[in-house]
Amino acid sequence: MGAFDSIITYEKGTYIETDTGNKVSRKATIIGATNIILGGKSIIQLGSILRGDLKRSISGQNVVISIGRYCLIGENSIIRPPGKLYKGTFTFYPIRISDFVHINSNCIIEAGQIGLGVEIGKNCIIGKFVIIKDLAIILPNTVLTEGTVVPSMSIWGGNPGKLIDTLPETYQETMEAKCKNYYQRFRAA
Amino acid sequence: MSIKYSCSHLDDPHAPLPPSYPSSSSSCHPLEKLYFCEECDAVRCDLCVVMEIASYFCPNCLFDVPSANVRADKNRCARSCFSCPTCESSLSITASDTPSEGGSTQAGPPYTLICSGCKWSSKQVGWQFEKPTGIALQLQKMNTQAELVQSEFDSLKDHLESYISLSTSAPSAPSSTRSTRNPSRHISNLTQMAQKALHRDVGSMVAYSARNKRTIAKDGEKEKLGWDELSEYEPKDSWRKVGLERGLQNIDTLRQLEESGTSGLASLDGRWARSYDHSKMANDILPQRIPLQTKLTKRCPHPNCRHLLIQPDTKSVRMKIKMVAANYLPFVEIGRRRRRIPNSEITITDSLEQLSSEDIERRRRERRRTKGGMVFREEDELLGAPLKAGETYSYQIALTNPLYDPIQIRLTTPHQPKKAPTPKFNLTIPTPHFTINAMKDAWAYDEEDEDEDFGGMIGGSETGFSEEGTAITSNTGIGTATGSGQGTFSKKSRLSILASGKNDRKNRDREGGVEKRGNISKVNLEVEILDDVKGKLEFDLEIRYTYKAEDLGTSTEKEGKANEGKTKEEYKIFTFWVRVNIGKIE
Repeated sequence: MGAFDSIITYEKGTYIETDTGNKVSRKATIIGATNIILGGKSIIQLGSILRGDLKRSISGQNVVISIGRYCLIGENSIIRPPGKLYKGTFTFYPIRISDFVHINSNCIIEAGQIGLGVEIGKNCIIGKFVIIKDLAIILPNTVLTEGTVVPSMSIWGGNPGKLIDTLPETYQETMEAKCKNYYQRFRAA
Repeated sequence: MSIKYSCSHLDDPHAPLPPSYPSSSSSCHPLEKLYFCEECDAVRCDLCVVMEIASYFCPNCLFDVPSANVRADKNRCARSCFSCPTCESSLSITASDTPSEGGSTQAGPPYTLICSGCKWSSKQVGWQFEKPTGIALQLQKMNTQAELVQSEFDSLKDHLESYISLSTSAPSAPSSTRSTRNPSRHISNLTQMAQKALHRDVGSMVAYSARNKRTIAKDGEKEKLGWDELSEYEPKDSWRKVGLERGLQNIDTLRQLEESGTSGLASLDGRWARSYDHSKMANDILPQRIPLQTKLTKRCPHPNCRHLLIQPDTKSVRMKIKMVAANYLPFVEIGRRRRRIPNSEITITDSLEQLSSEDIERRRRERRRTKGGMVFREEDELLGAPLKAGETYSYQIALTNPLYDPIQIRLTTPHQPKKAPTPKFNLTIPTPHFTINAMKDAWAYDEEDEDEDFGGMIGGSETGFSEEGTAITSNTGIGTATGSGQGTFSKKSRLSILASGKNDRKNRDREGGVEKRGNISKVNLEVEILDDVKGKLEFDLEIRYTYKAEDLGTSTEKEGKANEGKTKEEYKIFTFWVRVNIGKIE
């Protein structure tokens, strides 16, 4: 698969490569880096914003954003932990992103959980505390309202997002191959 | 650009009708959506597999609903999942803030359903709840609405049930009572009437079976043919009567409409899924429980097989059984489009349509021969760009081997039916025979690459030399070496290529027009579009692959006793067809 895909290049030095193979753009805004975990071989593209500083009001270290392996945070996408009033005080909750998750450009993500093998198209808005289970596709330009639950093997689209279709049984392999392929093609010029 | 695989459904595998027949489209599907039955050794698609519901679940609360409850729950979530009447997103249960001592507010009853998308609140329809759980149950207690609809439905069901129960008992009944109600008899009756009217056979399965039945019935007794006596159903409430009573309500509705404008009307989408008798105003539409979703078990449709192809696990996304075609058939991709620009010596001025097929063949051969000599220049083009009539394009087609053994490919075009319309193009496959290396783990490929680099560094080594040698021959005589040379390989030598997994690195780079990398082989395709044609350009390819049979025990049983001596090396052939759509001619 992907026999004819051309490589995606970036200017050398614009991305930092970590020991575990993560590629993070120097032009990405990462706040509260100590509260962010990257699983390895994940790409954070330029212009994206990761708000690791929005943590629970309880003092001490805790993970705010955790991202798995072979993930992509597209250009100008924003990952922001969801927050709400709980017992009179406003608190943020952590955001968990599993392996093989592709978030394309210009998305705003405030989900609580994104499962394995999820692809989020361009210009999507994922509302607060949305739960996306393993293996799902969110079509481009979708708006998922607060607290939406996206079940496994489904395709969502529209504004507000609705369940549109289901995925074929082979989707897990397709998505994993796609994510690995994308990582391999994303290289310095 | 799309590549679809053909499924012959329950027939023996055969080439699909050419793309010029619109009816052939139903047999082509993307590879991801196809299944493979090992027992039948055939491709299966979603249109032909037998589906059974494995489990029901609510897509909102993800609760697995026991199938016993589904009917009583009317296929909808019986817990607290409701969809918004205006925007259809799920409603969330929100507690209301009540001021407590000390100035702070405290969340507590009553609870309301609020849509986070459009801020619709169940207060608008007067729904408020004491507890935040089991909303559907609470609602059932406090709400007697829809009873009218329910009673009407029940009486209609009772009325039809007598008919259904009679027809289902029909197959078990002896042949003498064949006059029992069998819905298909309507159709056979119709076809018989049509046959009489037309004085010829009307092709239909039902007609055929009906005729057969009749011959059997002849020696027995005269078959009674008659229409089913389904008495007329009388509704409990006539819409006329209700409609007359509703005159005043309608006036009210119109008044409201004057105030609210068209925005006060419920959208068609919102009204569509509701009962037949509902209000047209947006304000009156009530939230509905969220419909359940299912996980499906899929079986092979062959009556003698019925093997499971897909069995989902109710707990996770894993499949207990997953027989998908992607694990058996090579994945086909098309890419690297190039347009051929002839150099000044050769001019294609005469129109191709006037040429006889011989001329075309001669020309093709000529082109193949001259290819090495750089008579043509090729220009890279974008894949999605529109095609131009009268031009020749070359593509690369890539096949990925999903098996852990090397395979041998034969790439041809399927035979066209006699009456098929003449195609808009000529398709040439310069390299119809080639091999694809076995699939390996990713790290194994890396090691191989390293090995090769090492070999290259030595330089004067034998491998380096032989590789160079093959490169030269393929450059000078590419046409003959590939087109015919590979093709005339005796079967034995071809199989020896398969068997010798280690030797394939030698012919890895260029096995005469074949580009190999890992378990991917790429070959060229040439498409010569005729003059003055338009429309979609689609063609079918027949791909036959030879592979090493894995389970020798069963294969020898299958192949028969003649092959008993050959238990060591067993090769099998599988043929499939793909439909390639390469775009539009403008």
